[in-house]
Amino acid sequence: MRAQAPQTTVVGQRLPRVDGIEKATGVARYTADIRLPGMLHARIKRSIHAHARILRVDASPAERLPGVKAVLTWEDVPHVPHAGQPHPRAGSLVRDQFILADKARFLGDGVAAVAAVSEDVAEEALDLIAVEYETLPAVFDPEEAMRPGAPSIHGTERNLVIPPVIIESGDIEAGFAEADYIFEDRYVTSRAVPAFMEPYACVCRPEPDGRLTVWSSTQAPFMVRGTLSEVLGIPMSRIRVIAEHMGGGFGAKQDLYQLEYLCALLALRTGRPVKMEYTREETFVAGRSRHPVIIELKQGVKKDGMLTARQARFIANSGGYGSHGPGITWVGSAALGSLHKCPSVRIEGLCVYTNAPIAGAFRGYGAPQAYFALESQMDTIAEALSMDPIELRLKNAFQPGDIGMAGTPFLSCELTACLRKGASLIGWERRRPAGSQPGAVKRGIGVATELHSATAYPETRETANAMVVINEDGTVQLRVGAADLGTGAKTVVAQVAAEELGGRFEDIRVVAGDTDSVPYDLGAYASRTTFVSGGAAKKAAARAKEQLFALAAPRLDVPAEELESRGGMIYARGAPDKTISFGEVVQPALGQPAPVVMGQAGFAPRNDYSFAAQFAEVEVDIETGQTRVLRVVAVHDIGRAINPAAAEGQVEGGLHQGIGYALLEDMPVDARTGQALNPNFVDYKLLTAQDMPEIEVAFIEAGDPLGPFGAKGVAEDAVCPTVPAIINAIYNATGVRIKELPASAEKVLAALREKATGLTR
Amino acid sequence: MKHIIHLIVNEEAREVAVEPWWTLLDVLRDQLELTGAKKGCDRGDCGACTVLLDGKPIVSCTMLAVQASGRHITTIEGLMRDGHPHPIQQAFVAVGAVQCGFCTPGMILSAKALLDVSPHPTEDQVREAIAGNLCRCTGYAKIVEAVMAVAGGAQ
Repeated sequence: MRAQAPQTTVVGQRLPRVDGIEKATGVARYTADIRLPGMLHARIKRSIHAHARILRVDASPAERLPGVKAVLTWEDVPHVPHAGQPHPRAGSLVRDQFILADKARFLGDGVAAVAAVSEDVAEEALDLIAVEYETLPAVFDPEEAMRPGAPSIHGTERNLVIPPVIIESGDIEAGFAEADYIFEDRYVTSRAVPAFMEPYACVCRPEPDGRLTVWSSTQAPFMVRGTLSEVLGIPMSRIRVIAEHMGGGFGAKQDLYQLEYLCALLALRTGRPVKMEYTREETFVAGRSRHPVIIELKQGVKKDGMLTARQARFIANSGGYGSHGPGITWVGSAALGSLHKCPSVRIEGLCVYTNAPIAGAFRGYGAPQAYFALESQMDTIAEALSMDPIELRLKNAFQPGDIGMAGTPFLSCELTACLRKGASLIGWERRRPAGSQPGAVKRGIGVATELHSATAYPETRETANAMVVINEDGTVQLRVGAADLGTGAKTVVAQVAAEELGGRFEDIRVVAGDTDSVPYDLGAYASRTTFVSGGAAKKAAARAKEQLFALAAPRLDVPAEELESRGGMIYARGAPDKTISFGEVVQPALGQPAPVVMGQAGFAPRNDYSFAAQFAEVEVDIETGQTRVLRVVAVHDIGRAINPAAAEGQVEGGLHQGIGYALLEDMPVDARTGQALNPNFVDYKLLTAQDMPEIEVAFIEAGDPLGPFGAKGVAEDAVCPTVPAIINAIYNATGVRIKELPASAEKVLAALREKATGLTR
Repeated sequence: MKHIIHLIVNEEAREVAVEPWWTLLDVLRDQLELTGAKKGCDRGDCGACTVLLDGKPIVSCTMLAVQASGRHITTIEGLMRDGHPHPIQQAFVAVGAVQCGFCTPGMILSAKALLDVSPHPTEDQVREAIAGNLCRCTGYAKIVEAVMAVAGGAQ
């Protein structure tokens, strides 16, 4: 049953974001914009081999260079193993990284660091550090890495990061026996990178009282504080982490990189502030990519289109370290076991070390890869059964109350409505049989669906906190632990708080991104901030409102339970002349201080899921293999859009990443050396404003019982179904199916030629 | 040895001592503390460092500061008038074209350069004008909408 959307005045409005003017005028200060007196500049020396033991590092010529203030090698730093990603996800932390190690595990692994009076001097000093390597055999392909005799990267069985993830339900043998048809395919995905515009940056300043202030472009300031404390052995109370403005993160800025530790150690060593900025090339190579994944998928289906069995293997290339690989392998495997109703499922997830650059968290967290495979094969099944792809999906679609991959029911689920609305918006009835058009330029339409959890529950017990403080003039401070990586989180939590409080949005000042000023929060990851931090803001606002009403009641001579508030005014229900403003309630009177009005709350929900159906219309030139996306329709069930403009922005940006992932984006490494081949924006193509298609975004707003004002997550969902929608549209246009990303012109052309000559790949 | 150069930055004459290999971007950010121009790639690929040189958009990371001597430079900080943001800045905020904000200054300056010479552009002209400015957050949808809103509003 659909929940009635509550009447709201602030929630649901397209309000301008609270930090918009700061950003549009260039005033907003990002980490790299920080300039401090006496500040040094640091750089990292990186391995030129993909796999090598570091026998000796001679830093002395670098130390003698005028202007160099400190050099750190692996012998100078604490040896505390850490997970790189400090996410407290139970069972998925693999402590396989060191600040600096005596072994390089990918080409670009940091081996030493320098702080100097300028970046130029630091750069020059890097060349003077002599590193003696013993090169080791290297492996870049995860299937090769699992074979006996493959080079051992961390000394684990088959180079596995964690033991295989197994997800099972029902009787798989019986399921396949019951099937009328069985489909088997192998899908391969690329190494897409988040490519946020702001490279990694960190500034550390030792304070006179022994504390350390850290400015970091991080999605999770409290995780940075906790991890620095643990690895550097500094009490947490002596570390302050600030992340005021971030130039995007998309998941990858959950990790700590070598720079935070090294910047902190160099600052402590020299007693001066130290800034370290990664170059764009370092951000590509030593950052985190989406996991390249191999998926072997086998499904059984009845003639009527009902799935009977699904078996899959998810093989993730983690690169040199584990990072989020364990969590992603779990989520990707769970996603493979989900999305459509299927009575028997067996998924095996393998996360494998190789000597490639490190893969990590990136918007979707394993799900985009899984849905590429699932939704591609669903299309193959529909074609084989001569069934409409939408009808096949509707037959197997989840409904409210069905059980999700975390073992909890979907409390709200509008997937069916998403499919129906999207079909109407794209003009599905125009879709013609695959490859049936004459001429060299062929059009096609494709569809794909997704579901995604707003949070990391149940692996992580989600929690966020907020404080709502009423200033003595009736304006409001909202202190939230959430970081805003650019999504508009601060604006959305302010709308939630204003609505609940009955206050004016413009009277709310959001304080966020400083571990000394705001209450604990796990960080801005998954699609959780509106859902979890917004929920905390709502509860905190409700508590502040209770206190305001308690103070207003005697002033208006009305019982508190008969009061209501809107626009910063408190009214007596049914007596509109009895009114008092927030400011009048709290202002100090002669001889009396202002009363303290402060609501604080934590929110620790379990999860709920958002759903979407995306439709793509493409044009493929079969003479060049070039695909052009003409139009995308994205219909998302996000419960409720707290700020429709911000929610649309999330989907529009997700589509940019999804279309790029489908057609262009990949950072391949040289198969011999492990050298990344295109770590720059000329050779790693991002779509420009001229490349983007017409986009239509629509929301199904039926509400969710858990989220604030019915809201669920939106950020990751946007990128999850885009790739298969496009791949299916390419199939519809040409009759060729691309199973290896990206669907570049070369691959499409090769597939067309194979089809024409009857050869299989 | 440092060279003394003269720049007219946001209509103010500035004299700066620079090394010959310093880029205009580094001088703006490090010497003049105009950090609105961002360093996204430092090789002219992303457009985050866009400023106007004699009214035309350039990527300041690939121009040496000495080459800019004597020229008029407009940075994002120079768009405010009497304490009010420029209409393009206001439009970006109003329609939701700003997300992480890292590309925003360069994007706004590329848009301004277009609107200065072509006050009523077509959508295709807007997309062409900002094609050198990469954005990873917005899909450009609301950025184009903002620029078109300003162009429409000026009619």
